[in-house]
Amino acid sequence: MITATKKMARNGCRLVLLMVLLLGMLSATGIARAHEHYEVVTNANVTTRSLSSNSLRAIFGMRQQTWPDGGAIKVFVLADDAPLHNSFCKEKLGAFPYQMRQAWDRLVFSGTGQAPTKVSSSEEMFDRVASTPGAIGYLEKTKISERINVLQVK
Amino acid sequence: MYSKSNNRVSHRHIRMARVIAMSAILWSFPAQSQALPDSQKLPSFLSATFARMSALKLPDAVQVHGFATQGYMNSTGNNNVFGYSNRHDDGSAGFREVGLNASVQLRPNLLISAQGLHRHAGQGSQDVRLDYGLVDYKAYSGENSQFGIRLGRIKNPIGFYNETRDVAFTRPSIMLPQSIYFDRTRNLAMAADGGHVYGETRTSKGDFFYQFGVVMPYVSGTTTEAAIFGVDRPGHLTSEVSYIGRGMYEYDGGRVRLGVSGAQTNIGYNRGADPALLSGQVQLTPIVFSAQYNAERWSLTSEYAIRHTVVNNFGPFSPNTATTGESYYFQGIYRFTPRWEGVIRYDALYSNRDDRHGSAWAAASPATRDPHSRFAKDLTSGVRWNVTPSFMLAAEHHYVNGTAWLAPLDNPGASTLAGHHSQHWHLFAVQGSFRF
Repeated sequence: MITATKKMARNGCRLVLLMVLLLGMLSATGIARAHEHYEVVTNANVTTRSLSSNSLRAIFGMRQQTWPDGGAIKVFVLADDAPLHNSFCKEKLGAFPYQMRQAWDRLVFSGTGQAPTKVSSSEEMFDRVASTPGAIGYLEKTKISERINVLQVK
Repeated sequence: MYSKSNNRVSHRHIRMARVIAMSAILWSFPAQSQALPDSQKLPSFLSATFARMSALKLPDAVQVHGFATQGYMNSTGNNNVFGYSNRHDDGSAGFREVGLNASVQLRPNLLISAQGLHRHAGQGSQDVRLDYGLVDYKAYSGENSQFGIRLGRIKNPIGFYNETRDVAFTRPSIMLPQSIYFDRTRNLAMAADGGHVYGETRTSKGDFFYQFGVVMPYVSGTTTEAAIFGVDRPGHLTSEVSYIGRGMYEYDGGRVRLGVSGAQTNIGYNRGADPALLSGQVQLTPIVFSAQYNAERWSLTSEYAIRHTVVNNFGPFSPNTATTGESYYFQGIYRFTPRWEGVIRYDALYSNRDDRHGSAWAAASPATRDPHSRFAKDLTSGVRWNVTPSFMLAAEHHYVNGTAWLAPLDNPGASTLAGHHSQHWHLFAVQGSFRF
């Protein structure tokens, strides 16, 4: 009888601890939005001109492989520590670069998805997005020309 | 039969040589990374080899990835982790994981993938096994939801870490929290053959992911038998139809992640020539609750598991039992810089929550049973250095009270003699890992 009461008290303490932890998580504030000096860009053959942020997150999370018109999506990203990649992840995807890497690793090493293609510079990003049908990436506004499309994120 | 100690002495030089060779190989890899500015300092023939490797252009739809990890473990007492890691044997460098996978996106909705895995970790070693091999068909993919099926050998979706438990880069520490991801039944936990349905729904309030599978568990090898019976028995385990599933909720791009996963794993025993046991059944029903909060510099993770185990029909020498084990951990990770991170964790495992400290269990046979083999409370602290995006080094220390998750095959004395293992013990581990 005494041990049962003690056990209940102990389980109760654990539950309270867990609840406090969860509440703390939920009450934390969101990520501040910075002024954006870049755009999400696509290959000129992509007919989609605007996309919800949920869809964008699924595309860069490598979980969505097709455009609404059925065409295959090819995702290009800069290195994890590139400043533009960092801004893009935080502002457009609402995630940190390490979270994106963890999500890609979970897919790649469980056989349930593929990693995005890494490019080493904004110049290469422009070339690959411009030359790959279905491509999506991100680029500084100053480096965008008419050879690629700008995608509005709703 | 040669004695264990002779075996160890004769193998020590081979082990040392392996460590040196493996370290050299691992160190050579970052030299090949484009991101490392001082690559000129390292041997040029390796850079040349890599240049040749990367010149092999794969078609866009094909990806090849891999990893190689080498660890060193040093523990106190007679307690062994991943080989003869105790101090009398100068620790053990017998922890090694090497994986290579390939995937082909045949069509946007059709993916095939497979991974080969070699793992050396004491008596639980495996030369090479098919870790997973599957076909993934996405039947529906809309703007806010998708649905698909997977067939083949599929990683078991349990908790946050199980599916990539052998990939050092995806682990928060060298050893995963053993309360939930204990390695003594890893063969059973890793993957299973069968079919899964999966899907996701995206809303403005967060994303929902779900997965459910009907599978045949992987019971080959001696480690699962040892985990169930304490020793390798003359008969063999058989795989029965089992079920597995996970639901996960992610809020704000994964800032908050909440999950519930569970399995009902059914295993039979074909007694063969076993003189003591009949052909009984074992049913394992783990349920895991998972919660994580991710900020820029820190992540908090906690998981709680309840494991119900039913053992039936093994005859008079092994009465029917039904026990419920309980596990949980709290873990904090702090990223000092993108390259340096620290981890601290409290992890607790109870084999039977109605006999948390094993007193009733040990009282039934005091000469052969240690009460501390029924629980383990592990305080872990560690540091990780991401030297380059593809090479990392990690070190960690465990202070453990209890021996519940020690692997029986690496600790043969445990099942026959009480007092052989230390209740309070330390484990120190270092690891280098490369991935591409």
